[in-house]
Amino acid sequence: MRKKILIRRFDPETVDESFLQAFNVDLPQNATILDALIKIKEEQDGTISFRKSCRSAICGSCAVTVNGVAVLACNSQFKSISWVEGDVIIEPLGNLPVLKDLIVRFYPFWHEVEKTMPWLEPKEEIGEKENIVSAEDVAIIDESANCIMCGCCFGDCTIRETDDNFMGPAALAKAWRFVGDTRDAIKTERLELLSKACNAWDCTRCNLCIDRCPKGVRPLDQIVRIRQEAMKAGIKDNKGARHALAFQSDIKNHGKLNETTMPLKTVGIIRSLGMIPMALRMQMKGKVPFPIQKDIEGIKEVKKIYKIMEVDE
Amino acid sequence: MVTHDLIIVGAGLAGMRAAIEAIKTPDLNVAIISKIHPVRSHSGAAQGGINAALGNAAEDSIESHTFDTIKGSDYLGDQDAIEIMCQDAPGDIYELERMGTIFSRDKNGRIAQRPFGGAAQPRACYAADRTGHAILHLLYEQLMKGGVMVYEEWHVIKLVVEDGTARGVVAINLLSGKLHRIRAKAVIFATGGYGRVFHNSTNAHANTGDGMALAYRAGAPLMDMEFVQFHPTTLKSTGILISEAARGEGGYLLNSEGERFMKKYAPNALELASRDVVSRSEQSEIEEGRGIDGCVHLDIRHLGRDKILKLLPQIRDLSITFEGVDPIDEPIPIRPGAHYSMGGIKASVDGMTSIKGFFAAGECACVSVHGANRLGGNSLLEAVVFGRRVGAAAAKFAEEAELADWSESALKDAAAEIASLLNRIEGEPYPKIRQDLQKMMIQYVGVYRDREKLETARVKVSELKARYENVSIQDLGDVFNTDLLGALEVGNLLDLAEAIVEGALNREESRGAHSRTDFTERDDENWMKHTMAYKAEEGVKLDYSNVTKTKYEPTIRKY
Amino acid sequence: MKYAYYPGCAAEAIMKEADETTRQVARILGIELIDMKNATCCGAGCLDEANLELSYVINARIFAIAESMGLNSIMTICSTCLQTMTKINQELQSDPELLERVNKVLRKTGTEYRGNVQMTHLLWVLVKDYGLDKVKKHVKRPLNMLNVAAFYGCHTLRPAEILGYEDPRNPKSLDLLIKALGGKTVDYRGKTRCCGFHTLLVNERASLKAGGKRLQEAKDKGADCMVTPCPLCDVSLDVYQSEAEKLYQKKTQLPVFNLSQLIALALGVDVSDLSFRKHLVSPKKIISAVIAAEG
Ligand SMILES: Cc1cc2nc3c(=O)[nH]c(=O)nc-3n(C[C@H](O)[C@H](O)[C@H](O)COP(=O)(O)OP(=O)(O)OC[C@H]3O[C@@H](n4cnc5c(N)ncnc54)[C@H](O)[C@@H]3O)c2cc1C
Ligand code: SF4
Ligand code: SF4
Ligand code: FES
Repeated sequence: MRKKILIRRFDPETVDESFLQAFNVDLPQNATILDALIKIKEEQDGTISFRKSCRSAICGSCAVTVNGVAVLACNSQFKSISWVEGDVIIEPLGNLPVLKDLIVRFYPFWHEVEKTMPWLEPKEEIGEKENIVSAEDVAIIDESANCIMCGCCFGDCTIRETDDNFMGPAALAKAWRFVGDTRDAIKTERLELLSKACNAWDCTRCNLCIDRCPKGVRPLDQIVRIRQEAMKAGIKDNKGARHALAFQSDIKNHGKLNETTMPLKTVGIIRSLGMIPMALRMQMKGKVPFPIQKDIEGIKEVKKIYKIMEVDE
Repeated sequence: MVTHDLIIVGAGLAGMRAAIEAIKTPDLNVAIISKIHPVRSHSGAAQGGINAALGNAAEDSIESHTFDTIKGSDYLGDQDAIEIMCQDAPGDIYELERMGTIFSRDKNGRIAQRPFGGAAQPRACYAADRTGHAILHLLYEQLMKGGVMVYEEWHVIKLVVEDGTARGVVAINLLSGKLHRIRAKAVIFATGGYGRVFHNSTNAHANTGDGMALAYRAGAPLMDMEFVQFHPTTLKSTGILISEAARGEGGYLLNSEGERFMKKYAPNALELASRDVVSRSEQSEIEEGRGIDGCVHLDIRHLGRDKILKLLPQIRDLSITFEGVDPIDEPIPIRPGAHYSMGGIKASVDGMTSIKGFFAAGECACVSVHGANRLGGNSLLEAVVFGRRVGAAAAKFAEEAELADWSESALKDAAAEIASLLNRIEGEPYPKIRQDLQKMMIQYVGVYRDREKLETARVKVSELKARYENVSIQDLGDVFNTDLLGALEVGNLLDLAEAIVEGALNREESRGAHSRTDFTERDDENWMKHTMAYKAEEGVKLDYSNVTKTKYEPTIRKY
Repeated sequence: MKYAYYPGCAAEAIMKEADETTRQVARILGIELIDMKNATCCGAGCLDEANLELSYVINARIFAIAESMGLNSIMTICSTCLQTMTKINQELQSDPELLERVNKVLRKTGTEYRGNVQMTHLLWVLVKDYGLDKVKKHVKRPLNMLNVAAFYGCHTLRPAEILGYEDPRNPKSLDLLIKALGGKTVDYRGKTRCCGFHTLLVNERASLKAGGKRLQEAKDKGADCMVTPCPLCDVSLDVYQSEAEKLYQKKTQLPVFNLSQLIALALGVDVSDLSFRKHLVSPKKIISAVIAAEG
């Protein structure tokens, strides 16, 4: 098959701005994006730069953006890039500084990973053999253990795009790998760290990381697991936890959310005051509902559920 | 100039394990250099398992592991080294587990073990089918924990030896394109294999045997280079590996008649015979017209959906993504492909080479624990066991050694070489030379060899070397010049190809992975010895050394 | 066609207009929506973080309400409700032990979930169950003049293996609907990305910037307005648009419609019934253009 491919070029030594360059290549039916890049480099333009190694989706070298979607070049066959209509556009991974052509600087990615203390802190020495761990306990961290640190999730993460301090999906998935490991000795310490600003609670649950991950790591699912464990461990003095708890109490008390008091419960009185101008504008538009809402009809049953389940607040 | 006490080139299992051991020496300044980020190293691609006689799945013993390895090596392995490796194995695995490796577990919560080719017992410890990945990431975690300095994406282009002692290396920082002198009291190479010498290969693009070539040029002998393992199950279109676990879990090999042809070649072990045996059987079936489109079939359908999803998920993914075949519904087309380099830099059980202060570990070294044929699950083990041992030995050496300065000339030479490459306006682009080499090697130095093929190969290698004299590249920039690296890597492949061909041509017998159709028998009388290849003015100079035997007498190898 | 109707908390309060216009649209198209009077909030993916088991019970109770109404399909107009409830429902349906555990609690409150309910969204109802050809027939005010940026948001698309309605990297439904209403569509990067709503109260700045970015991306590709299938996206993109403009120091002033508002407009509902005055970014110009074209 003959393909027209546009590659985003950038050479820090000669140009200030990146541009798209078009190439036409003949490729076999099963060809991948990486096959195309190699063919172009070896037959048409040796200056095109990209990373590659294993060509089998295990080393994590080759992440690029193809028509707006972060993928591994080596496991993306042309016939499987369903979202591409028209020319194929290959660009560097997002959310990381570009060094040259498709090569990005990975340092910021690793920096976030390192923040999570990504190593086991073993409990006190056991005998001479292995720790005994049930297959079920391994299963809980199985998905996170699949991560190849390719950065596809990071490159398209919503919050990383708008906040450089956000840890990002891969680091958080890696963090879960240790939080969930029964052999680890510092679970609470980890959860406290992860509950701090810009870590587990800042994610906006856009699910892009789940969609992008080529290895089934499902980073958002691991983030939610971290949040759940943190709540169980009683680490609740932060906006994210308060927000979740506000849902729990609103449902109990009214059946519905009370949107007027939600900010108050989540960000506290001081910050809510800052939101007043906004609130006033909404009031003027008739947007803000009456602060004292009517409870739903079956609120008694709901309260009973809370009682049966001994939900403490 | 940068200075460290100990530098380790390579950040796969061997290099990182060495570093973790070395930093246990107080105040020792240790650094790792790697041309790709540590977790991108090819160790991560190892799927199936790592051997140790833990006896979790069935009664097992170190003795039995040792014997299987020696037999697997076709009696070319050094028995003392093999004894050490098998003896140390359980302790090293337990240690990896305690550091945090996520192994699969049996129903008692112990490390699970699966059967592997050439092993009498289920001995391969595994993490689903991403064993290498699990250990590689574990070791990188430990590297971060230990705060080891990593020069990542620095490409080493020269081992500097003065007065018979290693002084350091010259490396390119890919980010800036600058050449650096890195000085050290001791240098470990853990640079992996040379699978990319061949066209059909399970190996990553990065596996160009750099370390072996650099050591060879610096005067260290390469040992047993003619022994190249061809893995029996690699995907038809890409050479990507389908792990032995597929057969370990019960997969069948079928020819065009739907026959389990291994019955003919290895009536007892069948599909789980040693790799060289299985690869040759496949090649024979294909050459005798019972192949399917140049391949045979690996069939795991009878294992059933659940077992495939649970135990072989990655294998299924790879087949679907890279071959368009879902093994739950269809057999996988596979053929033999170059997989593992038994040969390498001659090294002792503590990684010592013929050059003082220069050590080697992992696939780039030849200790030799694999002899003429490596057993599945033994090379991750080699990387871990000897990584640890060499890390300790090199640290000890560095602690006692004096730091010597070395002249700028080594740097100047390297710089001049690169400048001449960058300044060559007319010349032949390297990709074509590489492709021609790889295709030639699989054709003439592949699963079956004979004098005629090997003599042709010899001529062709020297032609290719002549062409390489005039190699050129297009990218003349400094920042991240992957074109330059590509060209340098081809130079390494050529030197190694030469050593492989010469060793193979001279060795007039069939042993393990080296299979000559003109000398079909193993010849212990004349050839139970290691090949040493030295770099000489006019090419390769061969020499031989004895195999170390302890108590295992060579017998006929049958599965 | 009959659905248990679950507008979700936002559409019952801050985004009341979404609920109101949905009812109008349903009336015109002849889709019967039955209110679920007793239903609580679904927890919006937050409750399950506070207390996973509780969130199963609370949602099972909602599903049980639909069952008790004799209905097996719940239609929502909120993407987050859709995703939260679909996910929990699938877990309940595929895990008999879990369902039994949940029912043990529910039975004590006099109800039980038998696992027979499916979740759907107004967008899917129109595209899949009702049919766009039929929608087309009801169009009174075609949106000819308009370049409409379809904003799918996250929770109607992802995760695909749970929602499974369309390719999350190349969705079509909303674009097809816009075309059926006579509008033109805009292709832009932000189409399948995120408005940032769910971190608005945790990381306000990052959230606002996410919403603002989507608006800029649409505007740069020539959008006259944006339409979303979710009242939470509406909040981020319309209510907070001016805040995002401040952060970027760049005006977008892109009117944002809820899906049901845009349909109601095209179906000819009296403009005064569409609550456009509630928008923080005024859609006046857009409305006048549509009405002018109507003649
Ligand atoms: C597909 C596949 C599957 C396998 N499965 C198994 C298995 O199941 N069990 C088993 O026991 N074995 C298996 N093996 C073999 C085993 O994986 C390898 O032998 C082993 O991992 C080698 O480890 P290493 O540390 O020596 O080298 P590698 O992991 O290859 O690392 C080499 C390192 O050297 C660095 N390097 C190389 N050249 C330079 C240079 N010029 N400058 C700087 N740095 C450099 C690289 O960056 C890299 O970090 C498999 C091999 C393959 C190819
Ligand atoms: S779900 Fe959270 S972590 Fe994942 S991409 Fe979205 S914002 Fe980032
Ligand atoms: S979570 Fe997935 S996408 Fe993200 S770095 Fe890991 S493997 Fe890549
Ligand atoms: S080349 Fe290794 S993941 Fe693509």
